[in-house]
Amino acid sequence: MTPTVSAKPVPPIWCPGCGDFSVLAAVKKAAANLKIATHDLVLVGGIGCSGSIHNFLEVNGIHALHGRLLAQAVGVKLANPQLTVVAAGGDGDGYAIGMGHFIHAFKKNASILYLVMNNETYGLTKGQASPTSQLGYEGNVEPPFHSILTALSIPAPNFIARTFSGDPKSMTAILEEALRFNRAGRGFAFVEDLSPCVTYNDTYKLWREKIVDVATLPGYDPADRKTMFRLCLEQVEAGRLPVGVMHRPRETTRDGLEVKLVGERLGPVRTDIRIEPNLAAYEKLLASAT
Amino acid sequence: MTSPAARVGPIPTESGPASGAPPRELADVSVMIGGQGGDGTLTVTDLLARYFRKRGLYVYASRNVLSRIRGGHADASVRGCRDPVSAVKNQVDVIVAFDQQAIEIGQHELAPHGFILYDSTTFHSDLPNSAGFPFATLVGGPLGQPIFKNTAAYGALSVLFGFDPAMTRGVIEDRFRRRSPEALEKNLKALEIGRKAALEAPGVPDRYAVASGDAHDVILTTGNQAVALGFVVGGGRFFAGYPITPATEIMEYLQRYLPAFDGVVRQAEDELAAINMVIGAAYAGARAMTSTSGPGLSLMTEGIGHAGTAEIPVVVADCQRVGPSTGQPTRHEQSDLSHLANLGHGEYPRFLVAPADPHDAFEITIQALNLAERWRVPVILLLDQALCQNTTTSPRFDLSKALVDRGKRLTAETAGALAQYKVYEFTDDGVSPFAPPGTPGLWSEVTGNEHDEWGHVSVNPANRLKMMEKRMEKMVRARDELPASRCFGPADAKVGFVGYGSTSGPILEAQAVLASRGIPSRYLQARTVYPVPTHEIGPFLDRVDRAYVVENNYTGQFARLLRETMPERHGKLRSIRRYDGYTFRAVDIVSNVEGAA
Repeated sequence: MTPTVSAKPVPPIWCPGCGDFSVLAAVKKAAANLKIATHDLVLVGGIGCSGSIHNFLEVNGIHALHGRLLAQAVGVKLANPQLTVVAAGGDGDGYAIGMGHFIHAFKKNASILYLVMNNETYGLTKGQASPTSQLGYEGNVEPPFHSILTALSIPAPNFIARTFSGDPKSMTAILEEALRFNRAGRGFAFVEDLSPCVTYNDTYKLWREKIVDVATLPGYDPADRKTMFRLCLEQVEAGRLPVGVMHRPRETTRDGLEVKLVGERLGPVRTDIRIEPNLAAYEKLLASAT
Repeated sequence: MTSPAARVGPIPTESGPASGAPPRELADVSVMIGGQGGDGTLTVTDLLARYFRKRGLYVYASRNVLSRIRGGHADASVRGCRDPVSAVKNQVDVIVAFDQQAIEIGQHELAPHGFILYDSTTFHSDLPNSAGFPFATLVGGPLGQPIFKNTAAYGALSVLFGFDPAMTRGVIEDRFRRRSPEALEKNLKALEIGRKAALEAPGVPDRYAVASGDAHDVILTTGNQAVALGFVVGGGRFFAGYPITPATEIMEYLQRYLPAFDGVVRQAEDELAAINMVIGAAYAGARAMTSTSGPGLSLMTEGIGHAGTAEIPVVVADCQRVGPSTGQPTRHEQSDLSHLANLGHGEYPRFLVAPADPHDAFEITIQALNLAERWRVPVILLLDQALCQNTTTSPRFDLSKALVDRGKRLTAETAGALAQYKVYEFTDDGVSPFAPPGTPGLWSEVTGNEHDEWGHVSVNPANRLKMMEKRMEKMVRARDELPASRCFGPADAKVGFVGYGSTSGPILEAQAVLASRGIPSRYLQARTVYPVPTHEIGPFLDRVDRAYVVENNYTGQFARLLRETMPERHGKLRSIRRYDGYTFRAVDIVSNVEGAA
């Protein structure tokens, strides 16, 4: 039988040299390495340059509302835990308008990957200050937000990492590990990619100088949240940019969320909702409820 | 402009029957129970409702509580009637007062033949036709705690009403048996203490005789419970919500019901998350719903618009309460309609369906789930506080009529047979077949941006026209599949009523009162409110001389919507409104009908 033709990828809308190209390539490569079938992968994009990433791949995609991609991604995963779900957006999307959902995603601990392409600016709306902008950038008077420190402060067995678009090889390895973590049902994975905006905040050179691989720091232990928080904070305070795996939980228990609610079965999307097979159970429910 | 219903009535002056006088027969009895939060007024309400049920009476119980956990005055009323009722009675027959406020609030509505039973532990009343018993003291000694005063009051009431003693006791056993043997024993003792005190009080025993009825094959339920049950039976398997009065019980019921069906219920961090989780789940193929009230609806407006343009089938239950802002969280209003009809920025189709009572709510919830998927349109279940939270007798929910219709939903087989799969394909009825992610061999890209058939972002003006028409015309094309209006009363009546939701109960009762005064009337209960069913309401208006649109809001939102969609008939329309946080009583409607006073 001839395969069904679905939506074809469109060319990226990004400026040449944009850090998001590295992310696109790494996502594609990690998914291929893990042999994730296209129809089982869902990419939920936010609003902003980075949020259009799903348009450039052969993949199930949701172009969500600004800031709401995490909520939609969690909904997808809960409804069908068999899917591999990646939410991908920018720093404004995740840390400003979507901050409430960001914090709660760690608590919820659904087995999805949240990928933030942080360029320290609102690129699509032409360069306003974002929550991660440095003091003075476009008149910014607020200190920058550090997502990794916040992530490490929430006691939940999440996978937490940071990558740099200037190092696509490490990024691919980390995304692969994050997706494996998700697919093993171990919980939420958060990866922030430092992704320079070549038009409004071209930081390739600056960031390359400031990058520090946390694995090279004395005492590095990604299973020890306290140590990792201290190491990262020291780097941040010293004006450097820590990258690498920041938290890799020691515990190998599955995430509580889907398993508790759906059992070992496939999840609600696959259950038979026709009346007939459920009739006896419905009769029982009505009799006991009213 | 119609003024809100006056809430003044005569202070009772009629003297009670001397001891030994024949009891006053009541075929329709209303009891108001009031006290401080924690006094157990809701327990008394529940016990009375259970007794009325055992006697085969139809029951309607409403509560009037404050938005706080304990303390503050709260009252409730329960009505038992030989005929079906879905409204608060015009007057109260008996007040049970645990605090003075209950009398202050209730005496204006007390019938001339009415009576007040009160707990005289902390206050005294000089009103005629009242009897005080120190319930708290009476039970406090033998039972060690004054909290059993509510059961004692129920005991005294049972004497006042001439209840059957064994059946009165049976109610206590039914309610407390499952608690603990100790709770049952103490409540049975409290019951006897209350009964004994009342039996010795002059003018109290058998003052009234409450009729029995033949409403036996009915259930006692609320609109919120009916929606939750309808959701399960309609194949709903994903629910996300955020606690908000008066919608929270829908989530709480589903937390109990859904796990047995592999369903998922999540309490979200806010309403923004709730609606977006529902959108994600619906996209992933689950039948999904959220429920909320005014403030939450405002936040969800963003997500509902996204679902509308991305054509994702979500159901949102809006339990209307007094607004705007926090308004009066525990009070009744129907003031979200204008907002919902115009919901959000931009234009997209939506269906507003409105059940009148629990039985209707069960059916319409199932229908809402079908409509959402069949048309890939957000469906709003338009509810109101009285429908959601008041307890009423209802015919049993009918599973034989339940149907799950997934519309053009593709399966692995039907999708695999397609040469190409366009998630927003142009079709004759504007509905594109949909394959949820995980369907082998194909994928779906959905977006809140304007898009082409493939789901790719598009700014092409020709495509924009076609896409707008594809979506918007669903509101016309779906017309005959939306819940149909129901009419009550003679077809040749010249007085008409139009309403939706819980106003149906008082309207039906008002019709009976009008009929008894020689004024036949016909009532159209709209079960779809938007798009306005002009094909039903138009011909209805043509047959009456005038029609009263009965609704709980200040501006007459439904009446305005009818005028706007049927301007040629605006001369027929009158407006009866109430917006003090209370539901209509039949008398409020009757008194506003020309020539009926």
